[in-house]
Amino acid sequence: MHSYADTLGLSDSAFTLLRDLIHERTGLFYDNGKSDLLIDKLSPLVIDRGFTSFLDYYYLLKYDVEADEEWKRVADALSVQETFFWREVDQVKAVVEQVVPDYFSAARAQPLRIWSAACATGEEPLSIAMALQEKGWFERAPIEIYATDASRAAIAKAQRGLYRERSFRNLPPHLRARYFREEQGAWRIAPELHSKIKWATVNLLSEADVGLMARVTIIFCRNVFIYFSEAAIRKTVRWFSQRMTTPGYLFVGAAESLLRMTNEFQFEEIGDAFVYVKK
Amino acid sequence: MTVIEHRVGVFTTDEHLVIRSWDEWLASVTGISAEEARGERLAALFPEIEARGLLTRFERVLAEGVVEVLATAFHHYLIACAPLTPSKRFERMQQRVTIAPLREDRAIVGTLVTIEDVTARLDRERDLDEQLASADEAVRLRAAQALAEEEERASAKKLMGALGDESWRVRRVAVDGLAQQVEAGEVSDLLRALREEHHNPGVLNSALQVLALSGVDAIAPLAEFLNDADTDLRIYATHALGDQHDPRAIPALIGALDDQDANVRFHAIEALSKLRATDAVDTLTAIAESRDFFLAFPALDALASIGDTRIAARLVPLLEDEVLRSPAADALGQLGDGEVVAPLAALLNTEGAPVSVIAQSLAALFKRYQRAYQESAYIADLASGAINATGVQNLIAAIDTAAGDELRDLVLVLGWLEGERIERTLVPLMGEATARKEVVEALVRYGERVTDLLIEQLGAEDVETRKAAIVALGRIGDPRAVPALVEALTNDDDLIIPAAGALGKIGDRRAFEALLDLIGHTDAAVRQAAVSAINSLGHPDMAARAVILLNDANPYVRESAVRIAGYFGYDECAELLLQRCGDEEENVRRAAIEHIPYIEDERALAVLGDALENATPRVRAAAAHAFAQVESARALPYLLKALDDADAWVRYFAARAIGQHGYSESLDDLMRLAQTDTARQVRIAAVDALGQIGGPRAVAVLATLAEAMEPDLMSAALKALGQIGHPDALPPLLEALRSTDQARRLKALAALGERGGQGVAEMLQWVAAADQDAAMAQAAIDALARLATAEAINALITLTADTARREAAIAGLAHLGQRHIEAIGHGINHPQSSVRRAVVEALGRMKQPLASELLIQALDDREASVRLATVSALAHLGSRNVEKRLVMLARTDTDAAVRGAAQRALRR
Repeated sequence: MHSYADTLGLSDSAFTLLRDLIHERTGLFYDNGKSDLLIDKLSPLVIDRGFTSFLDYYYLLKYDVEADEEWKRVADALSVQETFFWREVDQVKAVVEQVVPDYFSAARAQPLRIWSAACATGEEPLSIAMALQEKGWFERAPIEIYATDASRAAIAKAQRGLYRERSFRNLPPHLRARYFREEQGAWRIAPELHSKIKWATVNLLSEADVGLMARVTIIFCRNVFIYFSEAAIRKTVRWFSQRMTTPGYLFVGAAESLLRMTNEFQFEEIGDAFVYVKK
Repeated sequence: MTVIEHRVGVFTTDEHLVIRSWDEWLASVTGISAEEARGERLAALFPEIEARGLLTRFERVLAEGVVEVLATAFHHYLIACAPLTPSKRFERMQQRVTIAPLREDRAIVGTLVTIEDVTARLDRERDLDEQLASADEAVRLRAAQALAEEEERASAKKLMGALGDESWRVRRVAVDGLAQQVEAGEVSDLLRALREEHHNPGVLNSALQVLALSGVDAIAPLAEFLNDADTDLRIYATHALGDQHDPRAIPALIGALDDQDANVRFHAIEALSKLRATDAVDTLTAIAESRDFFLAFPALDALASIGDTRIAARLVPLLEDEVLRSPAADALGQLGDGEVVAPLAALLNTEGAPVSVIAQSLAALFKRYQRAYQESAYIADLASGAINATGVQNLIAAIDTAAGDELRDLVLVLGWLEGERIERTLVPLMGEATARKEVVEALVRYGERVTDLLIEQLGAEDVETRKAAIVALGRIGDPRAVPALVEALTNDDDLIIPAAGALGKIGDRRAFEALLDLIGHTDAAVRQAAVSAINSLGHPDMAARAVILLNDANPYVRESAVRIAGYFGYDECAELLLQRCGDEEENVRRAAIEHIPYIEDERALAVLGDALENATPRVRAAAAHAFAQVESARALPYLLKALDDADAWVRYFAARAIGQHGYSESLDDLMRLAQTDTARQVRIAAVDALGQIGGPRAVAVLATLAEAMEPDLMSAALKALGQIGHPDALPPLLEALRSTDQARRLKALAALGERGGQGVAEMLQWVAAADQDAAMAQAAIDALARLATAEAINALITLTADTARREAAIAGLAHLGQRHIEAIGHGINHPQSSVRRAVVEALGRMKQPLASELLIQALDDREASVRLATVSALAHLGSRNVEKRLVMLARTDTDAAVRGAAQRALRR
């Protein structure tokens, strides 16, 4: 249909090579129908490096001594940061109203660990924290929330805790009033809630990265697998299942299904939400 | 003869089996001299002969006058002796023995015995047997090649065994060898192989290829199999007949549609599909109309494949059948023409219509017309004239619940129609990723009347919808959108780049100031988008503004100003551009260096040279890049020096620039970089440059690198070899084609398609025909089309005979262009009617007057199916000067389908 490559005057001769390299390293797969999208996201990086073709940029990512640094920029560029508070909230409610009470009813000494694995700019883990706070769980039990994303820029925004109007399209007004205060035309999250979350950068296609994070009871990994190839999804889900506690609860987006991807989880309905349970 | 003389001995006996003659060969192998042997009774000299019961064979010869042969496999030898040359398998010489009567006049007076030493041959055969069973493909391939070169019947039998080999290369050699060796007498062996091995697809396919290549007539014996009691045999006979590419098989296969076994009928349908049997379409349509659950599906597939448009309208009612509607829609999409649009629309215009499958059919038809004839608008026009308000209502209602491909097809069809309600339905669908392209295309077609609707979408929640609206506004080019786009440019971060692009397309100077405001943006992509748009506007004030902006305090502004001034080459900015080459900011210097080759100033070369030598790495890299644009002779010394720069990207761009200039003086340096540079991208750039420069020394280096394990390097080396015409460049490419690595083979195919060479077309044809990897076959066809020599065109024409390759080969031919039409036209006289039809189709897609002239010849084809295809092709081309011929055909053609098609063509 269109792409920035036209506007920016880039040659797309080696675009396929670059697409496949990105798939290999990040799991993100842009099929032919989505190639414009990928071109749009990468073109600024190519331009900024002073290149006029994707081939030069492909060699940079593959062979240059500074490639690691450039990959971080790629992760930022490919990050999908279009998210909002209280998105697909039934799953959050299922955690707060059933999984958390069940966990602590067993008189466990270990804190309950929750990992928001593709948190973008932080709306998801903050929604979980808000829901837990609303039910008073932080006062009653040890709960740790980890939030990660592949994009440094997204995590930096999340750490700033300042949100624009678009992030609030689904959040009930009373929660916005309770947990945010207006600041320079945007809204800042309450520091006491924000501080409940530990932020980090994680590549879900890196076993080392996932290994560090996945020893948790609950993983939210929503709206990221839609961008992954099947092979990448299988790999990441396998690493999750190898490390999660038993029972372990894996939440994916409403448009995502793991039924064909794994036998290691059982698909269950908890409250009004569907969840993959490791038993 | 020498071999035979040295391996055959002869002796004679009288009627009492007393030896009368004994030749030197026998003396040497047995150690018994002629003197010792003569006069001795055979059984006395060799008692073992009697003990083994072999004397009775001699007695039979003497009594009955027959010739007895002692088979080696059973008897091994007549006279025990050691092999002439040591054998690893046999202690005794293996002998083939013939005992013939020795006559005087008519009376039998004794025996004439020949003993042939076959030990070495058996050893060799056993070796080959073992090699053919090896796990190593290369070993099996050598064995098959050795057998293919022999003329013995035993070799043919072994080659038949190799027809089932898992490797296509081995099968190819076996097929080749057998095609040379097979004679009419061997057909029975091949048919036996088919009978016994028909569950092995490798054997089946290869045996059928032998039959096809050897030109031996197998139709009659195969057709006879259709009467056999064995159901499996009848099934594979239908397969085999379908693969014979011979229309004489069609009557037998049509007969098989009445077979008592449904499986046979099923496979007969598939075979008729392969043969594109126009004669079968009525029966096949009747089978589809019977809605038989098992047979209607293949019948519809077959009808789609045969492509006789006459029956298309009969398939429309099947769209109402819940089970068959999808294949029926496919078939209509594939075989229909403008004639089926009206009945499809009529069905769409009814309440409760199967809307989605109708849209699927129309969309498929639309896409096929675009792909084949670049005339999708014809289908859209017919549909828009035939779909009424109910049809529109049905489409809009179906869109409510549709998703994915279904939604895309519905949107495509709705987009052909017009009206405010349709426009309002389509606009919000820009948010649906799968249908976005179709929506935007429709809206762009509507043009300025949807400008307001699109402007409304600039406030949509979904960012992709907002972006798509901007793209559409840019393409429509309505100046009324400029204020809204300028607002988006300034107020919505997500939309800056597409809005700048749209404003650039509209070219309205009101956007000038807003765009100029962005050239200092912190995001490089935004700056570049703004610069591109400003360059499109060509505002008369720009030169004067550039002079000011080149001295702006903001380095981003100076950088953008450099790009604008460099693009337009303003004389008044030349001095400032040279100054900016020494700007305090690296990005500004880099941009200035990139543009300096385009200004006409004597100082530019010195500035570039200085930058290449003394600047920061990124600026040096920009200078190396820029030297590609400098006059060739002057750039050489600078670039040669840059090949030794400490920074990899400087060497990289220097190598690229050298390749563009084609400096043969740099060969040694490039060879060194290609082989040893520490940065892989530099090696690749050097390889590319070697390909551009060429010559035997470059080839020697590239041939080695073509075997590199690293894919990018290997790929670049093969591509470079494909650019070099020197004869040494061919063998490494052919070697790569034999690799077990698919990526390497694909690259080799692409390079061979660029380069060509002796035997290349033939090799590509083999890969296209025999490789079971679809990607390889397609790549080989693409390479043949790129090659476009007479041999390559002939190869493509021949490949159309293979149903699996037909469409790709036709597409390859159709894209060859005007200057190859005559070569393609030779195919009109091909002996196979399926090939002639394919050639007609390719010519029909070319839309060239010369193609029409050649097609007119095909109207006289002896096969009705070819004439039918020709009429359709000419109808698409719309040639006025064929009207008389069509009138004649419409009245007098012996075939009703041809007459009907001619009548329809005349009505257009």
